[in-house]
Amino acid sequence: MSGPTRLEIRGLTKRFGGLVAVNDIAFDLRANEIMGLIGPNGSGKSTVMKLIMGIERPTTGTIKLDGIDIARWPSHRIARAGVGIVFQHSRPLHRQTVLENIKLALLPDSLLRLAVDPGVDERARAIAERVELGDVMDRHPSTLPFAYLRRMEMAKAIARDPGVVLLDEPFAGLTAAEVAAFSKLIRSFRVENRAVLLVDHNVKGVAALVDRVLAMYLGERVAEGTAEEVMRDETVRRVYIGGKIEATTQRGRVAAGTAPLLDVADVSVLYGKAQALDRVNVQVREGEFVSIVGLNGAGKTTLFNAISGLVPYGGTISFGGRSLAGTSAATIARGGIVQCPETRELFGDMSVRENLDLGGQHLAKDARAAQLAWLFELFPILNERQSQAARTLSGGEQQMLAIARALMMRPKLLVLDEPTLGLAPVILEQLSKAMEQLRRTTPITVLLGEQNVTFALPHADRVYVLEHTRIVWEGDPLRFAKEMGTGYL
Amino acid sequence: MKRLSRAHLLWIAVAVVAAAAVLPFWLSAYLLGVLTAAYYFGVFAMAWDLLFGFAGEVNFGPTFLIGVGAYAAGILNSVLHWPMVLCIVAGAVAAVIGGLLMALPALRLRGPYFGVITLVAVLLLQYAIVIFAGITGGEIGMTVPDVLSIDANVNYWYALAFLVVCAVILYTLSRSALGLILQATGQDAIEAQALGFNVTKHKIAAFCVSALFSGVAGAMLVFYMGTASVDTVISIAIDVQVIIAAVLGGRRTILGSILGAVFLILANELLRPIGQLNTFVVAAIALAVILFFPDGLLGHALRAGERE
Amino acid sequence: MLALQILIDGFAISSLYALAAVGFTLIFGVSGVLNVAHGGIMVVAALVGWFVAGQLGFGTYIGTVAGIFAGLLMAYATYFIVVRPIERSRAIPREETEIFILTGTLLWGIMIEQLMAYTFTDNPVTLRPLIGGVVNIFGVRTPRNEILIAAVSWAVIGLLWLLINRTQRGKALLAAAINPRGLTLLGFELSRIYLLVWTIYGLLAGIAGVLLASFLGVASSNTGPLTASAFAIVVLGGLGSVEGSLVAAYVVGYLETLTAYLVAPTLRPIPPLLLLILVLYFRPQGILGRR
Repeated sequence: MSGPTRLEIRGLTKRFGGLVAVNDIAFDLRANEIMGLIGPNGSGKSTVMKLIMGIERPTTGTIKLDGIDIARWPSHRIARAGVGIVFQHSRPLHRQTVLENIKLALLPDSLLRLAVDPGVDERARAIAERVELGDVMDRHPSTLPFAYLRRMEMAKAIARDPGVVLLDEPFAGLTAAEVAAFSKLIRSFRVENRAVLLVDHNVKGVAALVDRVLAMYLGERVAEGTAEEVMRDETVRRVYIGGKIEATTQRGRVAAGTAPLLDVADVSVLYGKAQALDRVNVQVREGEFVSIVGLNGAGKTTLFNAISGLVPYGGTISFGGRSLAGTSAATIARGGIVQCPETRELFGDMSVRENLDLGGQHLAKDARAAQLAWLFELFPILNERQSQAARTLSGGEQQMLAIARALMMRPKLLVLDEPTLGLAPVILEQLSKAMEQLRRTTPITVLLGEQNVTFALPHADRVYVLEHTRIVWEGDPLRFAKEMGTGYL
Repeated sequence: MKRLSRAHLLWIAVAVVAAAAVLPFWLSAYLLGVLTAAYYFGVFAMAWDLLFGFAGEVNFGPTFLIGVGAYAAGILNSVLHWPMVLCIVAGAVAAVIGGLLMALPALRLRGPYFGVITLVAVLLLQYAIVIFAGITGGEIGMTVPDVLSIDANVNYWYALAFLVVCAVILYTLSRSALGLILQATGQDAIEAQALGFNVTKHKIAAFCVSALFSGVAGAMLVFYMGTASVDTVISIAIDVQVIIAAVLGGRRTILGSILGAVFLILANELLRPIGQLNTFVVAAIALAVILFFPDGLLGHALRAGERE
Repeated sequence: MLALQILIDGFAISSLYALAAVGFTLIFGVSGVLNVAHGGIMVVAALVGWFVAGQLGFGTYIGTVAGIFAGLLMAYATYFIVVRPIERSRAIPREETEIFILTGTLLWGIMIEQLMAYTFTDNPVTLRPLIGGVVNIFGVRTPRNEILIAAVSWAVIGLLWLLINRTQRGKALLAAAINPRGLTLLGFELSRIYLLVWTIYGLLAGIAGVLLASFLGVASSNTGPLTASAFAIVVLGGLGSVEGSLVAAYVVGYLETLTAYLVAPTLRPIPPLLLLILVLYFRPQGILGRR
């Protein structure tokens, strides 16, 4: 049963120079209601949250808190007016105890108060109990596990009894079990006459928790309704999955049972204390095309970074039978595993040709020339734009350049991280065709990480599904289409 | 390292102050003089640590604030013949104004850029002193008619008392509610804002407090030595030593700065016999501490209790 | 006449400043380090050059080479003893690495200054000009050496430009400044790239130090002011922008020369400092900066 409207947002727009991050967003947030804001990377959902909290100023639009327009207020004023936020990356004060950290949230914004009101101590303890931190109140944050720290941040956010609570990716870094416990805590806010708005990638986790969902894409509202309604919405599915999930018959190039080229065994990754990957197992055989599908934030990038030697991990990753532990990232790249990252990492101020040349630096001169010629055939547009600065290319052209540059290194294993992110369907077609040709004409092995299932499926020999730090499904594309078709989102 | 709790710290501090107070009965006037200077230095370092540990601003030119306070007090005393106490107060006010001038760019500039401004401020102040040599005595410096005392013991006790008072105030501040807020604003301004704190207000406050203590200590130093010159209160060398003292003692501990200052000054003096290399050795030791014990002496001891 | 003198002198000193500043900016652009011991490297080059040329009697040419080599060694020492350990230290939190490098190199600079004063002398030293004699440019008597200095400075800068823009190694350097992660993914070991940058930097600072010694003379106490002026130029021009540093070097060089001739030599450094403050207030990214 939802109560009075706590937050009323109309015509909210935010422009960063030429980029429209949020475009004419409007919704109401009512008391006793938990609302979810979902969308892929770059959809603008985090920006909306920042606009509500006053961390960014809206270009146009109104944000009414209990009837008063807070749209251009400074953050601290908004906080005092009754809005609490839990950021995704919070740094606690390490020299203070958990209790003292919570007390901070209860202090008045005054330069003259030296002593802490006795009431504050009592209240801080009560809040600590409320979020189940009663036993660890007097410990220091660095001695506590990650889930506890997130609870502490929650405690700080609700300390002054805000009418509106904003949660930015509350489940990031938590294990599946911790997600459930945390959801329970969030659900309990509902009965306290609060309005809760949360933003997350973990759609399934969010779905179980929220009353309503607003889906965003490229700054605009795409769908609104209950969680089930939104997840079934055509546009939403297209944005997330790419389109219809269909698979072609198997090529069966590689006999099952051959030793894997890449063997990821029981790999876990922690960012500080946050769990990013939880005992993941992936094998890629020589000549195979393996797709790992999963939403933003599931852990695909982390997995690829572990393979490329960019982040420390637990477990073993072997390439060609030899463990990669202790090998530097550059050596791994030269050894045959070349990653084309999600962010592309192009040298923006250098020309297309210079970018490609850098990719081919380790080859002999004529080998480099031959490779370049072949790539210009595969991606003719790059030939045309040879002397242009990489920065000035369109999104699709930049992606092609990134892939071409990676191919200049003549990789044994090409790792592609979300190549379709932000690209128009027409470019996806071209990319898809290039992938086809690549498969047909070379013995290359590919590991693709994608949210867009429609793109990932047709080329794949095998599919893994990565969901919130874990591999939850493995099999061939036909089986995927049958089993995961509707249940994927 | 042994665990050092805050309660232990208090008792140790009391014991140390008591011991320090009776030193004049044992030590020569020369050594007392060295310690006196060290105590004033300790206040410089604590004021720096407050700004750094709590506003999160690295000030590469603390002698700007110290110098403003020192010269304001000195000039008022030698030119206008104001009484000493009034001069010290005026020096404090002047330093706070200086602190405000520093705070304004700090709010708009990031790390290295702000550091550059603080350094430039010191250089410009140096030139200003030289240009207005008529009033300031230029490069030679100036003498002030009033001094705190002629007796080395009395000077020593004045300095010790001053240090203790400043330490108590600054330490209490750092452990107070305000100190907690300042720490939060210094560590993560956005999060502090989201918790309802006006970060701008607090940063300016931190600058003013740091400036106040720097200015008063600078003025007191002038009345202790009876002279003021660019080399003693507005020099990059002293800037560096203040920063080293604070880092050596332990960033964000306030009290550690005193340890660092005393160590530094004593080391400088004790190594004087080896001539020109004494600065080299001190700098080398400081570098070693930075590389191997970045938390500083006190910081390392305290932190053992926070990490498991 | 005076105007021409200012023009010529200003040009020479600016070229020298440009040489020193370009090295400083390169180190910042590629490895992100603000080396506060910068002046120290120049001082070492100057003093060693003077010592070898004069005291040991090997003559100016060998002295110059020795000086440059000493500058290079000092740059390596700065990297391996101070900068790299701090960057790799696990006891220092990431956000504070920059401050520690600043403080660490500051201390290192002091150590260099004191060591130089102790080992050699703390008096100003000069290197005998490589080319003697005076030339008459439209009535202004200019030492040939001064012209040589400007020429050498520009030749070195030109070589550097060629290296960075025309060779593959150089392009890798540029790429490292733009996107170090991207470069690692292409199989380049960043540690080798950093070594290359510090080598180039050491040579640039060494040459600048030696040239300065033959032009105006260098004293160990110049360590601080030399760093300060390089810093000012680089911030003015835009941290990380080589073109910006070149432009700013001339702005600063001419401002200083004008002040020295028209107001008073001792007040040379003031106008650039004032300009620096103005720029930081109104355009903190510098004249041509992009970061």
